[in-house]
Amino acid sequence: MEPIISVENVSFSYKINEKTKVSVLKNISFSILPGEYVAIIGHNGSGKSTLSKHLNGILTPDEGDVWVRGYNTREQTKKREIRRTVGTVFQHPDNQIVATIVEEDVAFGLENIGVPREEMKKRVDEALETVNMLPFRLRPPHHLSGGQKQRVAIAGVLAMKPDCIVFDEATSMLDSFGRKEVLQVMREMNNAGMTIVTVTHHMSEAAEADRIIVIEDGQIVMDGPPREIFQHKQELEELQLEVPAISQLAGLINGQLNDFSKDLIKEAEFIAEVEKFAKGVRKEVG
Amino acid sequence: MSNEFEISRNITIGQYVPTGSFIHRLDPRIKLLSFVVLVLAIALNTSYLGNAVGLVLSLFLFWASKIPISYGLSGVKPAIPFIIILALLQLLFQGQLFSGGTVYVDYGFILITSESIRLVIVSAVRFIEIIFLSSVLTLSTSTTEMTHSIQSLLSPLKKIHFPVHEISLITTISIRFVPTFAIEMEKMMKAQASRGADFGTGGWWRIIQRTKEMFPIIIPLFNIALSRAEDLILAMESRCYTPGGDRTSYSVYKAAGKDYLILVVGLLFAVLLLFYPFPF
Repeated sequence: MEPIISVENVSFSYKINEKTKVSVLKNISFSILPGEYVAIIGHNGSGKSTLSKHLNGILTPDEGDVWVRGYNTREQTKKREIRRTVGTVFQHPDNQIVATIVEEDVAFGLENIGVPREEMKKRVDEALETVNMLPFRLRPPHHLSGGQKQRVAIAGVLAMKPDCIVFDEATSMLDSFGRKEVLQVMREMNNAGMTIVTVTHHMSEAAEADRIIVIEDGQIVMDGPPREIFQHKQELEELQLEVPAISQLAGLINGQLNDFSKDLIKEAEFIAEVEKFAKGVRKEVG
Repeated sequence: MSNEFEISRNITIGQYVPTGSFIHRLDPRIKLLSFVVLVLAIALNTSYLGNAVGLVLSLFLFWASKIPISYGLSGVKPAIPFIIILALLQLLFQGQLFSGGTVYVDYGFILITSESIRLVIVSAVRFIEIIFLSSVLTLSTSTTEMTHSIQSLLSPLKKIHFPVHEISLITTISIRFVPTFAIEMEKMMKAQASRGADFGTGGWWRIIQRTKEMFPIIIPLFNIALSRAEDLILAMESRCYTPGGDRTSYSVYKAAGKDYLILVVGLLFAVLLLFYPFPF
């Protein structure tokens, strides 16, 4: 399958002044296929956010290339195509809403790419419907909660019908309820075929993805499905990353009861396993 | 003093009173245009009767838009000191310029005539009329409608490469961020106060002290504003915003017959105020 995004030998450094440069990304290569749900994790300063800004040409690499559907992000003339293919939802819910009314904000991107009005109305409705914000369409954004604002931001990107959405720590400013709302929307969109890349340091969030890329000091150190990644508890801890609480718990119980699976990463799985176990115990007693 | 820090609650900008009246449902462009025409006419009318007509008209508009007159009065209240100072200055120093009519007082440079008294009263009433009119306009029109209508009314200027859309976008973004910054400022004041900073304890006349008190708030606020602006630029660019690019527009207004009718009525009033020879 043709990848949506392919990152080839990318290096990037921030210039602090004329002489000093801080190297952030070091020769990174990977690609993202259509329909994937990828989480990029790493501790603060590992370069994960910088990497995500390369995916739609907000930053361009010093060396190497990023290709989005065959367009090089260096090409100024293709910027618009690239950003229509890969949309980004940012960290701060307040700093990405432009308009004074929800539906107008969702329409902002569509106005920019010159979508005709009738089509625009339809797309705004659909996008707000997808993120369950249709009843709020005429509200001013400052009357919304963080999670709701973030869902408006998602709708704004979604309305442009991208092939891939990058979430740049999009849940880090939200409370646990708001995070759940946003994660649910991400899951639903992925089920509907949207490619999703999420940059996060919440392990429970990474567990939702189908593939995890672990970044350390500007390099990829692990790349694989969550279940596989979370087996490497030791290595992750050396990278200042924790496996999800559920995995830790499952590991602990497994130490006491061999039959209890230690290969669990999601709450629902854990609950199912406990129920299965409880039934078994009851049978033994009865 | 419980609401000492509650800035966001007291913001009146964009205070919209949705009563759903006839005035609310008018095309905002027509409203804005009629407003401009009426304000100009009122500003140029110098007769007592003419301004009485203007005052009645602006009170009628409150009634027609079903907005309680108290909103208008609360708009007038902060302006009262200015109106009084202005009236005093005009009364004492403008007499030489408006020396017509009967002379009441002629003492040194102070000359008070029936004409200068007319000027004083008419300007005070004019002031109130204009505040009333703009209150009706802003209370019955949402900020979004307002920026859209400004954009739409200025759009002919695009022909001479005037950045109409950019200006309306800037206005929208500033309005959009007013409550955000108010909340930010509240947080900062609370944080500073909890560490012993004093706000608003000096009397209002101690301007220098009160200004100094604001520095620990204003400077971090600027800082935050700049970093927010950077974020916003990234978000806008990610959504394909290119300044000066061709865009389409989400909201489109269509003026109907009743809108034009209102515009004509507004124009007639303006013509009446400007050209009718009011007897006094």
